Amino acid sequence: MIDVKGLKKSFGDNHVLRGVDLKVEKGEIVTMIGPSGAGKTTLLRSLNWLDAPDAGTIRIDDAEIDAARAGKKAVKRLRSKTAMVFQHYNLFNNKTALENVTESLIMVKKLSKETAKARGKELLDRVGLSDKYNAYPSFLSGGQQQRVGIARALAVDPKVILFDEPTSALDPEWVNEVLTVMTEIAREGMTMVVVSHEMRFVRDVSTRVLLLDDGQILEDGTPEQVFKNPQHERAQQFLKLAHLE
Amino acid sequence: MGKIFDIQFMISTIPQIGSKLPVTLWIAFLSGFIALILGFIIAMIRYFNVRVLSPLCKLFVSFMRGTPAMVQLLVAYYGVPILLRGMNEGLGTRFSVNGIPAAAFAVFALSLNSGAFMSETIRGAMMAIDAGQLEACYSVNLSAGQALRRIILPQAFTNALPALGNSFISLLKETSLVFNISVIEMMAQAKITGSRSYRFFEVYIVVALIYWAVCFLMERVLAVVEEKVRRYERRAVK
Ligand SMILES: Nc1ncnc2c1ncn2[C@@H]1O[C@H](COP(=O)(O)OP(=O)(O)OP(=O)(O)O)[C@@H](O)[C@H]1O
Ligand SMILES: [Mg+2]
Repeated sequence: MIDVKGLKKSFGDNHVLRGVDLKVEKGEIVTMIGPSGAGKTTLLRSLNWLDAPDAGTIRIDDAEIDAARAGKKAVKRLRSKTAMVFQHYNLFNNKTALENVTESLIMVKKLSKETAKARGKELLDRVGLSDKYNAYPSFLSGGQQQRVGIARALAVDPKVILFDEPTSALDPEWVNEVLTVMTEIAREGMTMVVVSHEMRFVRDVSTRVLLLDDGQILEDGTPEQVFKNPQHERAQQFLKLAHLE
Repeated sequence: MGKIFDIQFMISTIPQIGSKLPVTLWIAFLSGFIALILGFIIAMIRYFNVRVLSPLCKLFVSFMRGTPAMVQLLVAYYGVPILLRGMNEGLGTRFSVNGIPAAAFAVFALSLNSGAFMSETIRGAMMAIDAGQLEACYSVNLSAGQALRRIILPQAFTNALPALGNSFISLLKETSLVFNISVIEMMAQAKITGSRSYRFFEVYIVVALIYWAVCFLMERVLAVVEEKVRRYERRAVK
């Protein structure tokens, strides 16, 4: 499903990704953990080219792109395979919950307004927001906004959904409702790459854990393997410090 | 000339002075419309940092903001004919200078002036939109154009509206300068009416009140429009 080879990225002389290789199969729920500044966000954002890597190739489904010659068309094709859920939701402020979801259906998939609306409502129902179709983001709680974000991502009908710390900006009371929705989506077989330190999700839902450190994948295995039996000392240190062991 | 302040005379001049209000409004609205388009184009050029054009726009804005509108008006009034004559001689074109009404120079100068100010307002409003909005657009595969049209610009214009309204109200008042290039608008008419009776104070009070009334109306209209476009924003309770 995803095949990343030799991904490198630096901001100035800060080497954020130092040649990352990663394969993800269909249906896998991959969570990335690691210390702050490890490059988790950057790796995730490279997957839909919100950050343009300096070198390496990314293939998602049948869309392939090489950092050395990434044209507009290739970027668009790559992006059509993914959708993203942001830490700070990034909902379209000037659009209602429903319009946030239908925007891509109408503008990208070119569905008729009626079809898009029906589909949009279905998706909002699915994330438990049947009573908020016409609410603007600023009138929604953090948890509700993030669920709209998830519905908006689902509307793209992506091969993979990328989540960047989807619950870390939320008050504790709203975390559960978002995790529940994510868990449901995972159970339905969606491929997901998630940056999160939310242990309930990492341990119980994800099928695979990557531990990033200093722009490299340090540990790669099932949650069991990574938490119980990390191979590298730095990984052990991190797990201890973050109380994740 | 007995009375210090002749209120009867003052009231009697209202129709005459008011009869030139349409000229004032015409110049203001036409200039405002052109200024808005110009301001938008300059803002886009500068936002996307279009090469060659962007620094030129920056220079233009700096000049228009750094020189008095009055001077710009006179430069346009005397300069454009010279420019045209020069073109006629140099390039063999046949522009007729006499055919251009003075009001056109007024609109020309005022819309350039106001456009410069509006461009900064619009650019600032675009810069103020969080990058996350654009990234969200890209994440659902909207094109840059779609993102701009559907998400970024509507929000930017909402944020820019109060300042744009301000610019327009300034513009409306700056039309009072154009009597200097012999356009008979409200201010010019007031001067003419006043000079017939040597009662300038009264007529200027009349002009002031008419300008105020028009601006007041504009403020109300803008407030209503703003209320409408800002419906997506949550407001703190007082
Ligand atoms: N746009 C940018 N410009 C400059 N440096 C950046 C930019 N984005 C990220 N960086 C740097 O890249 C490094 C990795 O950042 P990244 O956001 O990928 O880390 P992270 O693992 O997601 O960390 P966190 O857990 O704090 O979110 C950091 O040193 C950061 O300062
Ligand atoms: Mg991060």
